[in-house]
Amino acid sequence: MTTVKTESLRMQLDRSANVRSIIKQFYIFVVLVLIVLTFSVMKLDQGGIFDRGQFLSPDSIINLLRSAVPILTLSGAFTLLMISGHIDLSVGSAMSLSAVVYAWMVLNGYSFLPAFVVTLILGCGLGFINGYLVTKLRITPVIATLVTLSAFKGLALLIVPDGLSAIKGSAGIVMPDWINFYARREVFLGLPWAFWVAVFVIILLTILQRRTILGKYAAAIGGNRLAAELSGINAVKMVWLLYIIVGFFAALAGLARASYMSLGDPLSGDGMEMDAIIAVLLGGTAFSGGEGSVAKTVVGALIVICVTIGLMTVIPAYWQTVAKGTVLITAVVLNHLLVQDKINA
Amino acid sequence: MQAKEIKHLRKPLMVGKLSDESFITLFMLGILAIVFAIASAIVPNFYTVQNMLNLVTNNWFVIILGIGVTFVLITGNYDMSVGGNIALTGVLSVYFCQGANVSQNTLANGLGLPYLVAVGLALLCAMGVGAVNAFFIAKLKVPSIIVTLGTMMLARGAAQVITQGAQRNTSLPDAFGVLGSLGIPDTSIRISVLVMITLIIVAYIFEKKTVFARRIYLIGANREAARLSGINVGKYLTALYILSGLLAGITGILLASEFKAGVSSRAMGYEFDALVIALLGGVSITGGFGSVLGMFVGAIILSVVTSAATGMLLSPDWQFTLKASVTFIAILAQRFALDKRKA
Amino acid sequence: MKPTENVLEIRDLVKDFPGVRAVNNVSFDIKRNTIHCLVGENGAGKSTLIKILTGAYARTSGQILLNGEEYNSHSTRDAKQKGISTLFQELNVVDQLTVEENLTLGMEDTTLGFLRHTDKINRMVSVMNDIESSIKPKQLVSSLSVAKKQIVEIAKAVAAESNIIIMDEPTAAISESEIARLFTIIKSLRDNNVTVIYISHRLDEIFELGDYVTVMRDGKHIETKPVSEIKDRSELIKMMIGKTVFEQYTPREEECLDTILQVKQLSNHRLSNISFDIHAGEIAGFYGLVGAGKTELARAIYGVDDYEGEIIFKGEKLKPSPDKAIAAGIALVPEERRSQGLFTILTIRGNVPVMNMRKISRNGFINDARERNVTLEYVEKLKIATSSIEKEAGKLSGGNQQKVVLSKCLFADADLLMLDEPTRGIDVGAKSEIYSLIRKLSREGKTIIIFSSELPEVMNICDSIYLLYDGSLRATLRNDCDCDSEKILHIVTGGE
Repeated sequence: MTTVKTESLRMQLDRSANVRSIIKQFYIFVVLVLIVLTFSVMKLDQGGIFDRGQFLSPDSIINLLRSAVPILTLSGAFTLLMISGHIDLSVGSAMSLSAVVYAWMVLNGYSFLPAFVVTLILGCGLGFINGYLVTKLRITPVIATLVTLSAFKGLALLIVPDGLSAIKGSAGIVMPDWINFYARREVFLGLPWAFWVAVFVIILLTILQRRTILGKYAAAIGGNRLAAELSGINAVKMVWLLYIIVGFFAALAGLARASYMSLGDPLSGDGMEMDAIIAVLLGGTAFSGGEGSVAKTVVGALIVICVTIGLMTVIPAYWQTVAKGTVLITAVVLNHLLVQDKINA
Repeated sequence: MQAKEIKHLRKPLMVGKLSDESFITLFMLGILAIVFAIASAIVPNFYTVQNMLNLVTNNWFVIILGIGVTFVLITGNYDMSVGGNIALTGVLSVYFCQGANVSQNTLANGLGLPYLVAVGLALLCAMGVGAVNAFFIAKLKVPSIIVTLGTMMLARGAAQVITQGAQRNTSLPDAFGVLGSLGIPDTSIRISVLVMITLIIVAYIFEKKTVFARRIYLIGANREAARLSGINVGKYLTALYILSGLLAGITGILLASEFKAGVSSRAMGYEFDALVIALLGGVSITGGFGSVLGMFVGAIILSVVTSAATGMLLSPDWQFTLKASVTFIAILAQRFALDKRKA
Repeated sequence: MKPTENVLEIRDLVKDFPGVRAVNNVSFDIKRNTIHCLVGENGAGKSTLIKILTGAYARTSGQILLNGEEYNSHSTRDAKQKGISTLFQELNVVDQLTVEENLTLGMEDTTLGFLRHTDKINRMVSVMNDIESSIKPKQLVSSLSVAKKQIVEIAKAVAAESNIIIMDEPTAAISESEIARLFTIIKSLRDNNVTVIYISHRLDEIFELGDYVTVMRDGKHIETKPVSEIKDRSELIKMMIGKTVFEQYTPREEECLDTILQVKQLSNHRLSNISFDIHAGEIAGFYGLVGAGKTELARAIYGVDDYEGEIIFKGEKLKPSPDKAIAAGIALVPEERRSQGLFTILTIRGNVPVMNMRKISRNGFINDARERNVTLEYVEKLKIATSSIEKEAGKLSGGNQQKVVLSKCLFADADLLMLDEPTRGIDVGAKSEIYSLIRKLSREGKTIIIFSSELPEVMNICDSIYLLYDGSLRATLRNDCDCDSEKILHIVTGGE
């Protein structure tokens, strides 16, 4: 009698859990489609970016994908880090600093390869610092990366000469034209190298997450750190490595931004941490870590971009912040409803 | 015999006569003295009465914010929405006050409410932002950093929408500028500074004497144990976030009155400054530990460092790196000092 | 590698914690390819010893020889590489991963970091399915019951292919048929050149399984000898308990008749359909193995966890929230002292009055003098050993920490006091002090419920005993001195 009742209770629970997990699997695609449809139906005549006033025209899609390059480059690695239960608020600043350094090197006559490599190494270094603060000095991730957010941004501002707002060609020196070949020149389907690299990065990170111990250990550390450590996983090393990876891709994103704008803007990465967090949360990664998916974060990132760019065409720019704040809060609520385990109040 | 034993227990511990908290406050005071001495030695015109006074009076807004942020931090949470909240409250107080239908320019038209009503409503909105934070953090258990970054964007964004990304400063009644201009004649002490001093004193008494404050520390020290000891954690978090919102609102109104304008970009990054001074003042980054007085000392340290940097004609671009380094050192110093003590 | 006779030799091992010496000059040998049992009461030092072996703790002094060579482990990973793997008492599985992923966690076969599906996985799965065949490798671990999670862990430890496997209470939460299959596997491990160090509270298992047994008490080594040389359980129990025999239970002269707490059809995620009445003034004990639902029951009554059903206290329905429960007159001493009971970074003075702030304050302002006096009163009453009430609670010894938590709950002035594992991890002296305190409180008219996984504890002080298994109430007994402990054990391990 007792057991029968418990069984039926458990089955009920199972069923509602099933429904939830199905919603959780697919809602994000529905959201993306809905957003695209909404913007397509709306008349987007006064838009600056969408020449033909249509959201779904080939030109506008290409524009959209081009602007999505930094977030696409970054958010995969960011997902892995969040799966491990850690956060990096300094990614935006790391991006700016990399953009500035890359632009500075290009401006000062270095050729593509050294500038490219040095910037990426710099990114790894920035991630290394974050990882050191979090894993070795054991400073709470939020505080540690807030401090480095400020530090990286400060460095970027210091590199830019007084009186200039960015690293760019001036009276003395001219910024070489080729700086924008990475993120602007069309190489395939009207899209530049940077985009195809971002696609490659996404595929790479999806495979890393699903098929390698990196992804598995990240989930284990985020799910139950003690169990992971007792199983012989060196959590310190893994988390540190994840921070370095995030730093690396932040640098790659910053480089793309610098190439796209043909200058090194020390504020160009501002707010990227929020975009990344929104994308990851929309993609269904749990706050506390343990589960998540790089592939779905990419969908989340596309939503972020569609909303930002889409809204930009219909409403004045000063609505941007509110819009993004709303998307973030919505993402938080959706994530709460669908992902978080309902451990009692 | 028995009585003697009890008397002995009543005495504070002989090992380190101070509580950890007063120890850290004193430690940071020591650091302040050192930083101050160095600054006086190397920065021209630093060691003057006026300048020392300025160290306190120029930072009234961060210190007021710091009170709320400190208490929130003691519970182990963050409030990153205060900067945006200042902008929003300032802009709202202006918008409510501006004459209705006085001009073609939308930015010159407001609701035409009396100043006090406008202030009251603006403060309500500021507390509303705090309440939204509290709802997500206490009810939905979302990490406070994410929520308050979100409400920061919402508040700042709303300010931008109302001001169309700029500011509102026309068709304001005379009463609007009064709060910000009154003060003790011939000094840099204005009403805002007096408000700050009053709030610090009230907060100090609140922190040391009330049951409410004691429970804040209990929540920060061990949230689960606090809950099992019958403390309604959600209620206390809600109260604190609303308080923090209110303090940001007061700051916003004073600033708006001082400048006779509601500027949407006001107080950018203040949330970080408030966090920095709390950490500098020895508030623990994991909660359960810290004091308003310590935060005050932290504010002065930061102000000495930044004004010394200005005095040495460093470019303003230095401020980010400087703040980051100072905070980093503060966190390490605090940990080092406490570890040493425990050993 | 030339095999020495002893696989492990422990020499003069000492481990100090602030205020306690958890392992005190322990020396003994473990022979190769045997099943070596380690017994002792809670707090005897077994777990600490194990944690030193696995590298979780650093020893204070002493020496350990592994295969005749100096052994020094800094982490579980290190220990594993040196051939010692451990099955810990706490569940150490990652809920978000699948069974298969958990089995291989930390021992994956990889090429350049890519996971390979090798024979190893199949072997592990078959070890697991030998014990319990219903677990599927692709299943998420979060969907398994506690017992099945434990089996996943056992399979993982067994399949790690170490020379030495340490098992800390592996049978605590699994059923008898599963235990039987586990024993077969452990014995076949021994026959395949593996040394098993087996820790258990169930003495019958020692006789069934063990080749050698080491008894520890109060951090000291008492005896190591072949199991075959031990006459019976009582000889073993005598070694474990030593001279300190607790006061025997004496039946109450007057029956307690007034019902103070009624629980009706209580169910939640871990409990199913529990109903019982508790009478005012009695000491009730809930006994069950790990995972039986004791803590969950305590938390439900206290209003921490959600539940369906009704809880009526003093004739009124309880609202599910700890602050309401305290206001109604219920206090709980939680299971996890450091994480749920104590504010470790605060002083004793900061801890004692927290559950009844109204008593030490007026209009929301704290009266410092009253606060100090109250703290002093409890420090004296419960004999908390400290140099000052301003001492940080986290720096006290386990027993004194527990007394601080008790003071906290007593100061709440509750009529019903619930104690979840009240004597876990504290020394024998403090234990008997806590028992006499419980008896004293009961004489003063308080109602007390004890939730415990130590049978002697329940049998020594409780008037009535409730037996839990897998979230449901299986039996209720009156303690009449000759409760059959065999029968109780049979019931709480799932027997009918």
